Amino acid sequence: MSICAEKINAISDSELIISLQAGSLEALGVLYDRHRGLVFRTAIAITGDSEAAADLLHDVFLRLHRFADHVDPRRPLEPWLYRMTTNLSYTWVKRRQRWLRPLEDVADWLSGTRKDTPAYQAEMDDSWRQVQQAVSSLPLSHRGVVVLYYINDLSLQEISEILDIPVGTVKSRLHYGRQALKQSLGLLAGEILPELQYEFT
Amino acid sequence: MDKKSDALLRKLLKNWVYRQRPPDNGRARLLWEAAHASRSKIDLTVLLFHPQYKSYPSSHSNDWPQTLFTWINENSFQFGIQTRLC
Repeated sequence: MSICAEKINAISDSELIISLQAGSLEALGVLYDRHRGLVFRTAIAITGDSEAAADLLHDVFLRLHRFADHVDPRRPLEPWLYRMTTNLSYTWVKRRQRWLRPLEDVADWLSGTRKDTPAYQAEMDDSWRQVQQAVSSLPLSHRGVVVLYYINDLSLQEISEILDIPVGTVKSRLHYGRQALKQSLGLLAGEILPELQYEFT
Repeated sequence: MDKKSDALLRKLLKNWVYRQRPPDNGRARLLWEAAHASRSKIDLTVLLFHPQYKSYPSSHSNDWPQTLFTWINENSFQFGIQTRLC
């Protein structure tokens, strides 16, 4: 099936999934362009690693292509993308915690590029590093809920369906995640750094 | 809930995440790889998993939920099927 390039943006996700199921790589490309921001932002917020987020973005859409026959075109695609992204991000974080991080630390030490050296630290913006560290210090299950709620603007019900957990659990995780973030970022005491507060566009 | 600090937290997190963008060459790389990959034709709809709780060494009792989680993620996603614990 071929899709006319001029009208491609007017085509719904549902039609694109049907085209993808029929083998259209053009449809995959359009879906990628349309949703890559959503997937990348979710992945980077959970992993805290831009390279990992880029790999996960690639992996999510490769799986969409590979398993297109299992995607229901009558339902919205976003929940499928969120679910796949959070699960793959969770797996990445757990793997890194168990195996990769110690190996990376040794490699960094051997190559002289340890991330706790003054040179490396100077490269990173202190303020944004504070935000990244605050999010990364949350338990993984709380992190996923916080990311979907605050960054992706999803409702409690939508998060419940995506993560397959009760709404009450979503509320609880959101409550504790929110409190922990506000405390570590100084929001409770009004200590937030001014450069972090510019208007989001 | 303190709505003011909640709104500030939302803005802060979005500002942090939106500073970084997905790679520019991602689309080309994806389409190249998809063109060379085979689509899944597996007919299975559900994979049943029977963990052997009693035989698991007690010294590693803290590891098994994580191991199970990773196993389910990797295998069910790899084959595009659901996994059920029995």
